[in-house]
Amino acid sequence: MTVANPSRQRVPDPSDEILAARAGAGDESAFAMLVERYQQRVYRLACRLTSETDAPDILQETFLQAFRHVASFRGDARFGTWLYRIATNASLMQRRTRARRPAEPLDAFLPRFDRDGRHASTPEELMVAGGAAALDRALDRATLAAKAREGLTRLPDHYRDAFVLRDLEDMPTADVAEVLGIEPAAVRQRVHRARLMLRGFLQHAAARGRSTGELK
Amino acid sequence: MTPMSRVVCLSGVDLLADYLEGQLSPEVNASLEQHVLGCERCQAFVASYQATPAILRNATEAVLPEDLRVSLGNWVRKWGSGD
Repeated sequence: MTVANPSRQRVPDPSDEILAARAGAGDESAFAMLVERYQQRVYRLACRLTSETDAPDILQETFLQAFRHVASFRGDARFGTWLYRIATNASLMQRRTRARRPAEPLDAFLPRFDRDGRHASTPEELMVAGGAAALDRALDRATLAAKAREGLTRLPDHYRDAFVLRDLEDMPTADVAEVLGIEPAAVRQRVHRARLMLRGFLQHAAARGRSTGELK
Repeated sequence: MTPMSRVVCLSGVDLLADYLEGQLSPEVNASLEQHVLGCERCQAFVASYQATPAILRNATEAVLPEDLRVSLGNWVRKWGSGD
């Protein structure tokens, strides 16, 4: 029989909410721990909602706002959701300050149907973007990354925000609804439209990659 | 869509997001599954639809640069000191 030695048991890390409470009471080391926990995720979110160029400013602004307001964090939502709301708002603000060239919309990549409501494409065509392995065969990694970024940029902003939070950051739909201030049904609808557009866009990119010079 | 109406590819696509989140009524859910089981094109479509988020997730992964991590740490210490 093995008996656990209490002195060697690992003390669990304090929860986000406990750290936030300590930070709100003025414990700077607790806030630093929250920064350490979330800096990578906030940076990645900012890149996905804006660009690598804008992400550093958004990262700083997010944690500055969190630092200023952590004392008012009441734990009604999870700390991560609360922080993601700040980061999302900072990203949207940053995006508004950029004079964007109108991106060519992705509507052309929505699925097509015949007059009977059946898919107009063949199963083979529909499967081109059937997974990372299929795309890996058609596009090199750098091209796929560039196409993915282009696809996100060309989405309507409200689709992009919902898709990034729900599908790329893996937030529950209810949390995305809370962050964006919309109903869960609207989140599902926006995410769905984004998936349809991006699926078609990747399918098109993979087909072109196979038939032109972007092959590995 | 009413529970009794027949699912075709077009209406099935519109139901996919709600299907994947378990938001459909049992009747509509069963109609959709029945259609997809018998439709090769929808099977291919659903597979690529479900694969899309993971492809985008992997392709847009971004790692915080070390110099930015250091800068952020410095900013946080500065805010803490009241500067």
